[in-house]
Amino acid sequence: MRKLIGFELRKLFGRRLTQAALLAAVLFSALFTFSTYQNKYASYGGRQASGGEAVALDKEIAARYAGELTDEKVQQMMDELAPKSSPQGLNAIYLYQNAMQSAVTARFSDMYGNWNGLRVADVFGEEEIRIGYVDGWIGASRDMEKSFLFLSFVILIMLAPVYSGEYGGVDSLILASRYGRTKCASAKALAGILAAVLVTVGMAACNIGAAYLLYGSDGLDCSILFAPLTLTEGYIPFNITCVALLGYQILLSLTGAVCTAGIGLVLSAACRNPMIAIVASAAVHIVPTLVPVAESSMLFRLLALLPIYQMQFETLMAVGQLAGGTPYAMLALPVGAGFLALGYTVSQRAFAVHQVG
Amino acid sequence: MELKTVELTKQYGKKKAVNRMSITLTEGVYGLLGANGAGKTTLMRLLCGLQRPTGGRILLDGQGIGRLGEEYRNLLGYLPQGFGYYPDFRAMDFLLYIAALKGLEGKAAERKAWGLLEEVGLSREAKHRIKTFSGGMKQRLGIAQAMLNDPRILILDEPTTGLDPKERVRFRNLISAFSKGRIVILSTHIVSDVEFIAERILVMKSGQIIHCGRPGEITSEIRGQVWECSVPAEHADRYVAELNVSNLRNERDGRTVLRVIAGEKPMGDAKLVEPNLEDLYLYYFQEQSAGRDGGRKGGDIR
Repeated sequence: MRKLIGFELRKLFGRRLTQAALLAAVLFSALFTFSTYQNKYASYGGRQASGGEAVALDKEIAARYAGELTDEKVQQMMDELAPKSSPQGLNAIYLYQNAMQSAVTARFSDMYGNWNGLRVADVFGEEEIRIGYVDGWIGASRDMEKSFLFLSFVILIMLAPVYSGEYGGVDSLILASRYGRTKCASAKALAGILAAVLVTVGMAACNIGAAYLLYGSDGLDCSILFAPLTLTEGYIPFNITCVALLGYQILLSLTGAVCTAGIGLVLSAACRNPMIAIVASAAVHIVPTLVPVAESSMLFRLLALLPIYQMQFETLMAVGQLAGGTPYAMLALPVGAGFLALGYTVSQRAFAVHQVG
Repeated sequence: MELKTVELTKQYGKKKAVNRMSITLTEGVYGLLGANGAGKTTLMRLLCGLQRPTGGRILLDGQGIGRLGEEYRNLLGYLPQGFGYYPDFRAMDFLLYIAALKGLEGKAAERKAWGLLEEVGLSREAKHRIKTFSGGMKQRLGIAQAMLNDPRILILDEPTTGLDPKERVRFRNLISAFSKGRIVILSTHIVSDVEFIAERILVMKSGQIIHCGRPGEITSEIRGQVWECSVPAEHADRYVAELNVSNLRNERDGRTVLRVIAGEKPMGDAKLVEPNLEDLYLYYFQEQSAGRDGGRKGGDIR
């Protein structure tokens, strides 16, 4: 069986289209990461910086206030960081000078850059909010989200020929052989799922590795809630650290990859041609995003559990919590198991019983 | 070992590709002759379990092949028509993959694959990608993969199509070498492929076996119906159009010698000759290719 899985993996990764799609995914991911890093901007005390220098300046500022967010720290930050004037009538809340300034003014400033009178407990309740340089890792997480979304289509491209690619003639050899309908059909499904997991883990490792090189470990233990304004609007409304954020993201991208693999395998077995399988599975993958439904509706809560939203984990994480404080997104685990079981059993059954035409 | 079909039928819509066929096959080489569309490939797929019959049964030593499942497929070697392969695989890797499908792994699989590559004359190309192979080489690789599990039933669907004469002879010899102690079913519409190696010929038409026998016996059916006659070369086309002509040979004296299949003497100077398999094939399939009645009503043109 291991030998068969090995052969199937080799076939999967040996295809030119798969190689090209994976290369494109890596390039896109690198582009997102590089672009985000290069676009970093920070100014403070007459110093202006971009790219790596901006990251260093932001880290330097964040280090001064690192630790638990208190009302004293808010006052100190408002004194030292908040813009003292509102140029040309712009709302101070939306002014960006550096990551820490944006985080504090977004929550504790009025439109003129003065303290808005809110205390930490008014904004965040009784929860302990650890602050620090979170801009880098939250930005990396957002880039990774785009990469995972792209990767989900790569997985569909990669898995489309698992069965349908055999229908061009090799299916006769496979199905007439001793284990063609049993072990081989299972090996194909397992190799497909394994390949999806492998590329997802690889993509996560590349992204996290690159982010670590660019941003270091600063802010990993800090709350995502005290982030610059651009990273908070419509974002995950839970007090979790950046490490926990990455953990949820990787977990959901894995369940998303497994679900995507399930869809890809079933349609690969059902379609007689890999190109048709690609188009059909991509269509099935995209459909949930095209359903006109409000984010507050029950239907959206169900749709959000489908793989395309698991890959865009932000949307799913923002849905809410279950009883006991568990994120609703954790329902993706049983959904992933369901898609896995469905993809595994239905695809190999469809392949094993198909009549060679 | 006895492979038997009982009232075997495969229907696509209204067309019966295999029509209530009952045959019994024991060890030996069977040449399955038939025109394109006669149902040969469907029959072979049914025998391999690649298609489900619409009706009837296939039995191996009295047991249904569907029920035997893996046990039956373990006895099977199959080379399909238009044999599919992975172009980027090397020959050895391809054989190792098929070996794994057949339950052979490790050193045993390597030894078997290597031995077969030597037998089919591809040992030097073991590390070459299949996409670089000629048609003949691919077919030899095809027979090698079919033999990996030492099958007791070897099914070869039009294995010589597209091969040049030298490759065809080589291929025929290979099949002869592999045929001992097995049921070998070789389908073709190239008569000479089976003439030399088949012990029995099955003639298939419209989904049915219309004739079965040894090559020598089977041609006796049309003994007395194969003629040779000499005609002026300029009239040869007219005779070819009107008679069931199995061969035509131009002579130096401006005349053409026709080999005609006809129930009655087709012209005055026609001489009876011994029939061969090609004549028989034409006798049965002329109707299909030219819209006539199999040469059974050969006209007398004088």
